[in-house]
Amino acid sequence: MDHAKSQHGSGTGFARPPVGAAAIEAHGLGKRYRRGWALRDVSFRLPAGRVCGLVGPNGAGKSTLMGLATNMIRPTTGALRVFGAAPGSAEAVLRTAFLTQEKPLFRRFTVAETLRLGREFNPRWDQGVAEGIVRAGQVPLEARVGTLSGGQRTRVAFALAFGKRPDLLILDEPMADLDPLVRRELMATLTEEAAEHGTTVLVSSHMLAELEHICDYLLVIANGGLRLAGEVDELRAAHALFAVSGDGSSPALAPHRVIEPRNEGRPGVLARLGGPVAYGGQAEPPTLEELLLAYLRSPDAPPLIAPGAQVGDIHDIITRDRTKAVTA
Amino acid sequence: MTTLTRDPARTAPAGPIRDNWIPRLGGPVWLVWRQHRAAFWTLVAVTLLGVLVMVHLRGQTMDFLAAQAPASRRSGGLPPEFETHVDRLFSIGSYLGYLPVLAGVFLGAPLIAGDLETGTAKLVTSQSVSRLRWLTMKLAVPAAMLALSAGVLTAVFTWWWSPVKGLSDGLIWTSFFSVTGVVPVAYALLTFTVGAAAGLLLRRTLVSMVVTLGIVVAIGFVWDEVWRSLGNVMSVSTDKGVGPGAVRPELPTQAEQSGDGAYFLTSSGDRLDWMTCLDQVENDRAHAACLESKHVIGWSIDYLPVSQMQTMQWLGAGIMLAVAAAVAAFVILRGRKRLL
Repeated sequence: MDHAKSQHGSGTGFARPPVGAAAIEAHGLGKRYRRGWALRDVSFRLPAGRVCGLVGPNGAGKSTLMGLATNMIRPTTGALRVFGAAPGSAEAVLRTAFLTQEKPLFRRFTVAETLRLGREFNPRWDQGVAEGIVRAGQVPLEARVGTLSGGQRTRVAFALAFGKRPDLLILDEPMADLDPLVRRELMATLTEEAAEHGTTVLVSSHMLAELEHICDYLLVIANGGLRLAGEVDELRAAHALFAVSGDGSSPALAPHRVIEPRNEGRPGVLARLGGPVAYGGQAEPPTLEELLLAYLRSPDAPPLIAPGAQVGDIHDIITRDRTKAVTA
Repeated sequence: MTTLTRDPARTAPAGPIRDNWIPRLGGPVWLVWRQHRAAFWTLVAVTLLGVLVMVHLRGQTMDFLAAQAPASRRSGGLPPEFETHVDRLFSIGSYLGYLPVLAGVFLGAPLIAGDLETGTAKLVTSQSVSRLRWLTMKLAVPAAMLALSAGVLTAVFTWWWSPVKGLSDGLIWTSFFSVTGVVPVAYALLTFTVGAAAGLLLRRTLVSMVVTLGIVVAIGFVWDEVWRSLGNVMSVSTDKGVGPGAVRPELPTQAEQSGDGAYFLTSSGDRLDWMTCLDQVENDRAHAACLESKHVIGWSIDYLPVSQMQTMQWLGAGIMLAVAAAVAAFVILRGRKRLL
């Protein structure tokens, strides 16, 4: 296991909500639109304090899942809870910030007025953080939002989301229209803020390599269903990349299950381990990108939901009983 | 909710905020004001302009009336120049009649459709504010502005009309029924909420404006058809025969005749319409005999007296406000449930 990349694993010493508290918990969640199911029978829990990457092909249901968590969309089946509260309840709304893909802003407002919007509406508003993010990009506060460039507008939208001081920050494709430098800077801000305040982050992105730097948790969705869920390290440790022998024949892989025979980058066969394996030589741990690509390319592979990401986990019961004991 | 829990140290605006003089009423009110301030300022400007013009024109009318002999102040008794004053009254009145159309199309329809079209509805609802509160303020602030504006304009117009009421045939109260008193306020609020509902359902600004225009015109037609039935029709009759020399029933001053002309009243109290015995009208004797055979003893005329005007206006306004309240409740409940 590679702990160097896990910046936000529990026990790093930052202020965190109690271990085991779930930021998001979904039970049998489904959403059907007129043209069919966008999301079907999705159950998982996202423990608080993680930076979670949400990965999947276009139209896989990522935005639907985010909309369900922020009360923009109502589920057809099942339910979802944000810190134990229904999405749309006063508590959930107060603790959640959502940056949608389109990043809508009032075009005729100035930047200062946009920040005032955040201040007027959010009791936990942090003007310093919001202004800092805007100032770091040299965006003038008097400028009208409509006159800003796409990247500057994204920055203002970020400032609005961060200034809310959420416990759960949901970002839908936040980096799509940013240049690489700004992207790095905002990603660094994101990781710093999340680490400092113990914010849970759910971020969807197609930039797999970038997710590897910021995420310690992972949800993979394809065809409306959950394919992978759990700690990044845990998921990686459950797989191995087996080298193909010189004559091209596949290595004997029983009891492991082949997810994808790779033929680009590092050649080999990516398999889910069915038993202990010794890394080195024939078997190497896959990178996050390799793992994600394998699952995105093989939608028929059976889903892998790590125990910590399953609802009804022992942690939930502990947390629930603790809450009960306090309220009793 | 925001004002109660916000850290007082942070309430001082850090950026350049222009609307400082507007009383602090909390987040949603500020947002609605800021977002639609161009429309609100236009409304204020139109109201002020309208008031100035009407005060000026009323002054001219009053000067004209003061110059006339007091005895001539009755319908038909004033010189022909008075008609220019009447024309002005009518043209301003017809502009006032457009107020509900403007309220629905330019204030109501874009109100929610604009936020849905640009996605800013998502921006607002992902802040810590309940949709109920936001939508309520979203409707309440423009509705208050609109009621104020329509109320002021109508009050000044009514003030102009009152002294000339009934001074010419054209100045009959029914012509002013929908542009005086409490009606324009209720009417504008109704079309405003209808426009907002159309915007909520159609989610596109331009489409909702066009559809709202259609609905408002339809409401106008229906209103013109039905408002007279809010009153109690009175009738006045004679029993001195209907021959050539017989006296016609006389309407009270400023009353508007209704129904199909004069009816024939029979001795049993029944009324026969004006087409009775019409085929014998060429021959006086046959006509008289025909009417005699039907026991006609006089004429009867239906009318709506001016005394009922206020009652009818309040009744009509009450109905409009009730519908407006129902539409507003629909907007809030539906918007709360499935806005996005």
